[in-house]
Amino acid sequence: MSTMNGMVGKSVKRVEDKRFVTGKGKYTDDIILPLQTYAYFVRSPYAHARIVNVDTGAAIDMPGVLAIYTGKDVEAINGVPCGWQVNFKNGDTMKEPKHPLLVADKVRHVGDAVAMVVAQTREQAKDAAQMVMVDYEELPVVVNAAEAVKPGAPQVHADVPNNICYDWELGNSKAEVDQAMLEAAHITSLEFVNQRMIANAIEPRSYNAFYDEANEKYTLYTSTQDPHLIRLLMSAFVLGIPEHKVRVIGPDVGGGFGSKGDHYAEEALLTWASQKVGRPIKWTAERSESFVSDAQGRDHVTKAEMGFDKEGKILALRVKTYANQGAYLGTFGPAVPTYLYGTLMQGLYTTPKINVDVTGVFTNTTVVDAYRGAGRPEATYLLERLIDLAALEMGMDPADIRFKNFVPPFDGTNQPGYQTQVALLYDSGNYEGVLRKGLSMLGYDDFRKKQQEATRNGKLLGVGFSTYIEACGLAPSAVAGALGARAGLYEMGQVRVQPTGKVTIYTGTHAHGQGHETTFAQVVADRLGIPMADIEIVHGDSDSMAFGMGTYGSRSLAVGGSAIVKSIDKVIEKGKKIAAHKLEANAGDMEFANGKFTVKGTDKSISFGDVALTAYVPHVYPADLEPGLDFTSFYDPTNFTYPFGCHIAVVEVDKETGKVELKRFIAVDDVGNIINPMIVEGQIHGGVAQGIGQALFEGAEFDSNGQLTNASYMDYCMPRADDLPMFETTNQVTPCPHNPLGAKGAGEAGTIGATPAVVNAVIDALWSGGHKVKDIRMPLTSERVWRAMQASVN
Amino acid sequence: MQLTGKQVLNAAPSKVWEKLMDTPTLARIVPGITKLEQTGENAYTSTIQIKMGPVNGSFSGNLQMQDITEPTNFTLKVQQNSKIGNANAAIKVDLIPLNGEQTEVAFDGDAKLSGLLAGMGQRVISGVANTLTKQFFSNLEKELAGSNTEKV
Repeated sequence: MSTMNGMVGKSVKRVEDKRFVTGKGKYTDDIILPLQTYAYFVRSPYAHARIVNVDTGAAIDMPGVLAIYTGKDVEAINGVPCGWQVNFKNGDTMKEPKHPLLVADKVRHVGDAVAMVVAQTREQAKDAAQMVMVDYEELPVVVNAAEAVKPGAPQVHADVPNNICYDWELGNSKAEVDQAMLEAAHITSLEFVNQRMIANAIEPRSYNAFYDEANEKYTLYTSTQDPHLIRLLMSAFVLGIPEHKVRVIGPDVGGGFGSKGDHYAEEALLTWASQKVGRPIKWTAERSESFVSDAQGRDHVTKAEMGFDKEGKILALRVKTYANQGAYLGTFGPAVPTYLYGTLMQGLYTTPKINVDVTGVFTNTTVVDAYRGAGRPEATYLLERLIDLAALEMGMDPADIRFKNFVPPFDGTNQPGYQTQVALLYDSGNYEGVLRKGLSMLGYDDFRKKQQEATRNGKLLGVGFSTYIEACGLAPSAVAGALGARAGLYEMGQVRVQPTGKVTIYTGTHAHGQGHETTFAQVVADRLGIPMADIEIVHGDSDSMAFGMGTYGSRSLAVGGSAIVKSIDKVIEKGKKIAAHKLEANAGDMEFANGKFTVKGTDKSISFGDVALTAYVPHVYPADLEPGLDFTSFYDPTNFTYPFGCHIAVVEVDKETGKVELKRFIAVDDVGNIINPMIVEGQIHGGVAQGIGQALFEGAEFDSNGQLTNASYMDYCMPRADDLPMFETTNQVTPCPHNPLGAKGAGEAGTIGATPAVVNAVIDALWSGGHKVKDIRMPLTSERVWRAMQASVN
Repeated sequence: MQLTGKQVLNAAPSKVWEKLMDTPTLARIVPGITKLEQTGENAYTSTIQIKMGPVNGSFSGNLQMQDITEPTNFTLKVQQNSKIGNANAAIKVDLIPLNGEQTEVAFDGDAKLSGLLAGMGQRVISGVANTLTKQFFSNLEKELAGSNTEKV
């Protein structure tokens, strides 16, 4: 990649951290508007119940109460929409029951909002909400996706037979896969659950809405990952307010992990009610509300089979998954277990026949949507568990079996991309490379000796591998559209050069922990040859920037950064014309480097700052050129990007207690070109911790009544620093061949790779002690591991 | 949540039965009870104050005795609502005579919890239930001992 002043590739400290670590970040809840009022929601304590009556009589007379809205008040308003359409195998559109802003008829999950109280203070709103009397008539509950499709199961929506939202398949035909399986010398089969996860962003969801009567304009501050998308969905699809009369601002946001990508009912309700009440209304979720009302992740029940020839070469893969969508569809809900899951079933392997069959199911549980990695961790978990288990079952080495099956290296330029059986065209990859690097970091040759020694000493030591791939850089619009996306997935980048040569960058992506203000500034500083201090990155305000699709799917640098690069190129192009005019040369003879426009082969040059000033004070200026130096570009990628890597976990399992101790964790990630290695490493660390969290600690536990039984940090176990070893991370760089930065994306890699590595390591440890356990349900608590050991023949 | 247990009391089943069916006695011995009013045959409304670690609140609702076979068994139906969630339970209670002057009270039932009570309380609630049960039987024993003393 071209570098001008070497800013790219440096671990520059994050410029945004100054405000974050000094407590000067400005989050939605920090924003207090004149005449501020507060909302509190009455939520269902039942997972499934008919609402017989809602009595607000006592609540409305409580001190400070300004208004109470119930489901009846919003019946005429549309529900929150779903942004992605998945079709049934027969071509029918998925079932898309209304997701109302407030429920009028029946509640469908614990936490479903029944009423909203608006009062002068937060405490008054909460007190009054507790006086809203709701009569419920309890209904039978269904929680598990595989159970919900059975005849006679409770019906979540009257017009969705058997709770089936869609049934969908991808890849080769079932008959082809069945045929290939017949030729298999060995079939590894696994029935397992990929448990439900709760995102637990450190900042709870928070919204603050007001209506400016003078300008007939609404403003919504929201803890979102995608302000423009919220504006579009809320104005056009829910409230029917003209889009230009709505401003959506996503200020500092304390973590999203996918759960803040959704357009939530509360956003629309506050916006709508702010006009009725005539004062700004704010709501910030309490943590216990977040547990039951934030979109959750994963929750698959799966049966998967992988067929091998006797050499260990994969012949076929067959997958049947029941994906729990929750009670309603989230904004990206149906895309996650289909187009972000089924499409990754090729993994890094040359599997010739693949069939993925997914049934999306409604249940009486909180909405399920994207959760860091979104579909790709589920696919990786499936593949990597199968291949490690196959190695154990066939007595093969888990590294060897991978080497046998890897797609050979290709750079996507001299060698073509790799066409998978499941719709994607991989851009570039060197899969052997990351595994080799990982094995060398591990010291694999010695490891098996150590393991045998441990076995002799009565210890259970195990190693687990995960060689993953993900589809990031969401997304080429035409492809996404063909797959059911109801929006384009390009990105906008604006470069506004100020008259003094300072630069303001407007991006349609949104940072909520990723460090865009640093990474993007490095790209700009590098390309324009100006100091980072002269650059400001602005994001998150629908009135400031032309458009934007937000941040998710590891897209910001690959897509958003590329849009900025397009605009930088236009700035330089125009700058050359201005400089050429001033230096009395031809634009074609100008070159730009290190912040200077120079006539090639001469010492005649003019600085970037002088060109900027000339553009705004055009006294000596080309006749055919507009003044100003300000370009907006939209970048629509031609393909997804495909980061990949190798994660290796080493664990020791206590024979007596089943406690898993994670001894080492190695991550070799290939995320393409790297702008800021420290930020990439930070992203990997966070992602790996989250992935380990799923393997060992976390998971939503609903009881048969649909009650979330671990709805607080007393019971929902988040990974902590003292649960984790020092991570050993490194990178391999295989540039993305189709975007100008060569970047692939790093935000989700850790979460995608880590989980199966840890579980595989535990399984390997148990096998080393003679416990031939195929699966233990995540999270791998001491109890579950101990029980699995007791149940297996030693 | 499963509610199961048993307790041996130093009184004949008929004496224990008498206490369990007596509203004023129950109002004295149920832990945290601040109100108990009979609303019909074997039916009561109640207010019970419960404090259990992170979850505490005032529960109000109905208690109903059903399937009564004096003096050997009955089923207690409990429906209690609170701001922190609701509890519904059906508990079968058996009075088993032991060597004439002793009774084993065995109970077995299932409680359905909802709301915060379910989300935050599950881990502590079985412990709380055990504590409350112990308190209840301890109070009942005192009542029985007291009535024995009166007789003497």
